Amino acid sequence: MPYQGDDEDAKLRARLSKLSGDLKGRGAAPPPPPEGAQPRADGTGSAMAMGMRAGSEFVAAIIVGTGIGWVIDRALGTKPAFLIVFFMIGVAAGVWNVIRATSPKGGSSDRNSPLSRAEPPDKDLRRSPPGAGQDVLHSKRGASDGAAQAPGGVDDDED
Amino acid sequence: MATESGPAIDPVHQFSIHPVVPISIAGQDFSLTNSGLFMLLAVALTCLIAAIAARGDSGVPSRMQAMGEMAYEFVAGMVRSAAGEAGMRFFPLVFSIFFFILLCNLLGFIPYSFTATAQIIITASLALLVFLTVLIVGIKDHGVQFFKTFVPPGVPIYILPLVVAIEIVSFLSRPVSHSVRLFANMLAGHITLYVFGSFVIMLLGAGAAIKALAILPFAMTVGLEALELLVAFLQAYVFAMLTCMYLNDALHPGGH
Repeated sequence: MPYQGDDEDAKLRARLSKLSGDLKGRGAAPPPPPEGAQPRADGTGSAMAMGMRAGSEFVAAIIVGTGIGWVIDRALGTKPAFLIVFFMIGVAAGVWNVIRATSPKGGSSDRNSPLSRAEPPDKDLRRSPPGAGQDVLHSKRGASDGAAQAPGGVDDDED
Repeated sequence: MATESGPAIDPVHQFSIHPVVPISIAGQDFSLTNSGLFMLLAVALTCLIAAIAARGDSGVPSRMQAMGEMAYEFVAGMVRSAAGEAGMRFFPLVFSIFFFILLCNLLGFIPYSFTATAQIIITASLALLVFLTVLIVGIKDHGVQFFKTFVPPGVPIYILPLVVAIEIVSFLSRPVSHSVRLFANMLAGHITLYVFGSFVIMLLGAGAAIKALAILPFAMTVGLEALELLVAFLQAYVFAMLTCMYLNDALHPGGH
């Protein structure tokens, strides 16, 4: 039946053109949000990456710090003074880099770093580490609420 | 270097650069070296794969198209998770960097080929490109506000100079760690592979009974090859990921 064959062919062609029209319409649609798209390097891979990253960040900061000290010394003729100072700053920056790199939320920026995150409204709490800061905060709030609870108890029901 | 007869172990010979196509312009040496050749090859392969993947002339997606879409989604997810939706401005940069490094790393696995990413000058150039992009974009978009990155909020004034100095050193150390990590990983990996590979040859060249021992370094080489494949991918991923994180600082200085 050649006639029906042609008919089906035409139908198929119509469907195909409709589908490709749909595809074109969809082309402008925004891509779906990534769910599991990024952390392909999971498990041991990501742990390895983290380890390598932490090590190199630490060393790099010391090298840069020492280099800056050396250059300043060379410029000013104060041979070992700035080298020593900037070496120490470099070590501090190295530790800081490692803390930043390994802090839970990826450590992508200052916002996620423990030091600047621990920014309680109270002035004398500023330099305390995040855990301690929160602890004191909680107990303070508990105390001001008039609740005669131990800090530990407050902590428990807060979290 | 080994001076005795037999195979000399010279694991760093594979990293030596020599001209492939000598070109001299106005007395300057512009020769195409093996390093440049393999970088061009990486770029050409990336373009070729992307061009095939993006052809999409048939209604049904081909395997290459699926691969291209996966690659897009992978890098786009990485950019979005680290730098937010605003970071998609830099998607082309991150995508190019990721695939350039990945292809360079993987091309290095072909015997007698050259690993461009095992040259510090290559990785340092890439890291400086990212560093300067962060600096220029940060200052252009945020002006003086950008330097708030170095002044974390909530720090008492008497230790602020120290903290700022630490932050600046930490910021300046980024391109160093960024470049050295990739370079050192590729260099060490290829040296290790070479050394274990030459152990096989040396043991095979030795006496009859010792020949059987050659299976041990051979097994090690096979295992290392797998590990190096992982490292090749991982380092490209880490480099691109850190690029996103640094760009995030340019887009949102001071973490706002």
